[in-house]
Amino acid sequence: MSSSSIDSIGTTRRIPTNRSKARLGKDKYNLPLTIVLAVCTLAVLVPLFVTVSMAFKTGAQAVEGKAFSLPQPLSIEGFVEAWKMTDFPVSFGLSVFVSAIAVAGAVLISSMAAYAIHANWGRKFFKFAFFYILAAMFLPFPVLALSQIKLSGLVGLDTPLGVGILHIMFMLGFNVLLLTTFLRGMPHELEEAARIDGASTWQTFWRVIFPVLSPMAATVGIFAFLFSWNDFMMPSMIISDPALQTLPVVNQLFQSQFSSNYHISFASYLMAMAPAIIVFVFTQRWVLSGVTQGAVKS
Amino acid sequence: MATQPPSTVSRRSLLAGAAGLAGLTLAGCSGSSGDATAIRFYQTKREVIPYIRELLGEFHAEFPGIRPIHDTSEGTLNGQFVRSSPPDLALQLYNYEMARFQERGELSDLSDLPEAAMITDSVKEQLDLYPSYPGRLSVLPYSMMSAAVVYNKEIFAQHGVGVPTTHSEFIAACETFQDAGVTPIYGTWADPWTIAQGLVDYTVGGMVDVIGLFQQLRELGPDVGPDSRVSFSKVLREPLEKMLTLLPFHQGDANGRNYGDGNNAFANGQAAMYLQGPWAVVEIGKINPDTQVGTFPLPMTEDPADNKVRVNLDLALWIPEKAKHQDEARELLRFLARPEIQDPYNEHALGFGVRKDAPPVTDERITQMQPYVDRGAVFQGVSQGIPTNIPFYNYCQDVVFGADLEPMLARLDADWARLAKRA
Amino acid sequence: MSLTSSEAPARTAPAGLRPTPKRRPDKTHLFFLLPTLAAFTLCIALPAVMGIFYSFTNSVGYGEWDFVGLANYELLFTDPAIMASFWFTLWFSAVTVIATNIVAFLLAVGLTAQIRARVPMRAIFVIPMVVSPIIIAFVFQFLFARTLPTAARAVGFGPLEDSILANPNLAWASIVIVTAWQAVPGAMLIYIAGLLAIPGDLYEASALDGAGPWKQMQMITIPLMASYIVINVILTFKNFLNAYDIIVGLTDGGPGTSTRSVAMTIFSGFETGDYAYQMATATIFFLITLAIAVVQMRLMRRKDQ
Repeated sequence: MSSSSIDSIGTTRRIPTNRSKARLGKDKYNLPLTIVLAVCTLAVLVPLFVTVSMAFKTGAQAVEGKAFSLPQPLSIEGFVEAWKMTDFPVSFGLSVFVSAIAVAGAVLISSMAAYAIHANWGRKFFKFAFFYILAAMFLPFPVLALSQIKLSGLVGLDTPLGVGILHIMFMLGFNVLLLTTFLRGMPHELEEAARIDGASTWQTFWRVIFPVLSPMAATVGIFAFLFSWNDFMMPSMIISDPALQTLPVVNQLFQSQFSSNYHISFASYLMAMAPAIIVFVFTQRWVLSGVTQGAVKS
Repeated sequence: MATQPPSTVSRRSLLAGAAGLAGLTLAGCSGSSGDATAIRFYQTKREVIPYIRELLGEFHAEFPGIRPIHDTSEGTLNGQFVRSSPPDLALQLYNYEMARFQERGELSDLSDLPEAAMITDSVKEQLDLYPSYPGRLSVLPYSMMSAAVVYNKEIFAQHGVGVPTTHSEFIAACETFQDAGVTPIYGTWADPWTIAQGLVDYTVGGMVDVIGLFQQLRELGPDVGPDSRVSFSKVLREPLEKMLTLLPFHQGDANGRNYGDGNNAFANGQAAMYLQGPWAVVEIGKINPDTQVGTFPLPMTEDPADNKVRVNLDLALWIPEKAKHQDEARELLRFLARPEIQDPYNEHALGFGVRKDAPPVTDERITQMQPYVDRGAVFQGVSQGIPTNIPFYNYCQDVVFGADLEPMLARLDADWARLAKRA
Repeated sequence: MSLTSSEAPARTAPAGLRPTPKRRPDKTHLFFLLPTLAAFTLCIALPAVMGIFYSFTNSVGYGEWDFVGLANYELLFTDPAIMASFWFTLWFSAVTVIATNIVAFLLAVGLTAQIRARVPMRAIFVIPMVVSPIIIAFVFQFLFARTLPTAARAVGFGPLEDSILANPNLAWASIVIVTAWQAVPGAMLIYIAGLLAIPGDLYEASALDGAGPWKQMQMITIPLMASYIVINVILTFKNFLNAYDIIVGLTDGGPGTSTRSVAMTIFSGFETGDYAYQMATATIFFLITLAIAVVQMRLMRRKDQ
């Protein structure tokens, strides 16, 4: 289930064509089906198109609230206003900060923990630690939220830093599960060879284990980014100071105030969505394979 | 509210440093200013924030060693207590939220302050609406608000209508306006609190002994229900039915209008009456200083002697037990409670004094209420006696929007009993 | 998955397992695990224990409190607001699971067939997975509140002329649509993986037997995809039970309280002084999540055998 599926899902070059041929008979491509699916993509594209189109309107045109009229003239007025109103550099920076902690933690902490558990699978304590961490997959945030609010306040972690740490911890079980499974597929000889060369455990991890883990760690890291960047629930409950809120939470302000300045709100939505979409475009193959990996393991 | 007291910041940055991430978490804190002790002062009454800010400036000039940080972030107070980081001093509405803080022993005792002895007895009685903490004076009353029907004197005069003193006179006045094509009452029902604190409180307060009602309800506790000797179903039904008969005297789009719309409309003479308090009168004065505003209690019976005005403790000062700078907080508290600071504030905010030596109100927009206050013809809003975990404001909105009254009152009884069982 | 059952480790014994050394565990290994374990305990295990503890008290989140035994639990089962949010959440989740899986399955079948532009189309269909739920909910809120009524008025379709978000009987539908919109890609990718794992000669053989596409779907695709359907149904159901972001963005629980999810109800305990009470709600919610996990493990184990 490891590398072969990455190829088949991620690049789709190896798709077995014989079966479709058998089903469809002589035609190489099924044109009606292609058209139906192309129409279906509108369900995805229309909301995104409306977002972009509204964002580039002038205030006067946006206030009409017409979703499908094109911006006439093109204007970046909405972006300028949204930039100021959401204090974009700060909220963007805080979102980056939270996501960076979540990604670094997901990749490093999960990898190290997975390696330690893998290398000591025969020991009761490590096995216990593994199931202990896994058990948290049944404790979603709403169950723990009220206690976490209190505890995070008590230790001064009712901040973006605290949210980053919680993001790591909520993903830990799943990530350790993925990574230990991956490590089991690793040839034992690799580690042994490093040992014979006199490398310490620390060196072995960095020179041998981590490079081997890196494809899976990349998947883990990208999902950590998407989860952390897009999350609204945890920052909105944990971060106490409204001035330290992340982008998704800050965008709530358009719900109460300035409600008909659609060019501003949509410009702001676009600026909040764009980074995740850009990351996705560049990391498609890990995203696509990651979902499948996760499903098969969980 | 980009500022945090330095103590919090240093604690946070310590932790951040431990994680190797110092600096990034400091984004939200302001630079320190010398050796002054920063104390966090929580105050969210929106209409007076600029005024209070100036007072804080004066205080800092007189006490350079103490730097008050003005925390005006609405809706964060409960969270601050849950997170064990309450403000050092607060100047807030005395309501059920406050009562929870005092009941659970989170507010420090202020009874030793000389200022406490100056509070009038009738104001002290108002503290009885909520459960208190034994042996403590948890809050120091600061400003009392009296509220009654706000009316436009010019429109009344134009149509030859005098101030009504009985319910039938009130209905007659409404009909006169309606016949003349004038909106009798401006409704802002999109904001549930304006329904609860206006329509509901005025109609109930004009007919029911509110403090007595809650004392009995608290005695009954979990036994409150359709068959108990006192219940919301029994006591509130008649006044609220009467309230519903007043709805047709509101403008047609009251459902979709909010508090801001109402202030604008009333300031521009779009209605004869407005069921709001002096806080709205201040706003109306800002929008149109020429509006001739007066106030009268909503008559609910045929006996003028039954008429009362609604009062509440609009502001009270308190210091949490867990405040980090108790002494400095007390310094600021005593500064704010000085008569030469407190009395001009009340004049500015159209509040009534709470001290024995406080001067009577002089603003003619509210002087009509002074006689009622003086002779104790006052009531507390029924909406203020119901804990906030019962969504009473939303229930009121439902009823005004057309839901049946009886199921709502039955639900209120059930909510009250359920709450009492786990108190 | 099977790793979480108690007898599983023996079966899934790691391929690279070495004979366990008898000496004490490597210090570096301990360093790799122990701090994480400690942080995990503080962030996850401690709050869980604390939540259960407080659910037996009358705490408002601060200050003094007393034990009240099972009072919170007794009362929450008769509290119409809490029960309504449980029923709403379960019902909404069930409807959305069905909608999501049907759409995802059909898309997966389409996207594994011989079509043009397969790679770009797959990429497009995955986009909803990567956008922020609350932000996209804000966008849809605009479409439901402004665009849809305008369109309905233009064609004279009465039921949609007023915003469905303001209609207590229809607001849930908007939440189902947006939640499904976002959840379809994940389920679809899993179905695609499943479809690609079906050997092509099965179809060839059945085609020789004269089976048409519909017959092939019934005889081959659906039976062989059963385990993937089970995985997807469970995964999506578990996610939907925690519904929060999209509801906040679309209706904020309204109109009235008609679309309030369990998560929103629990969070309300933080603002209103219902701290301990909503901790009890959270504990019940945890038990429901756990029950679903047990069902999940049972189903998975059956699949393995």
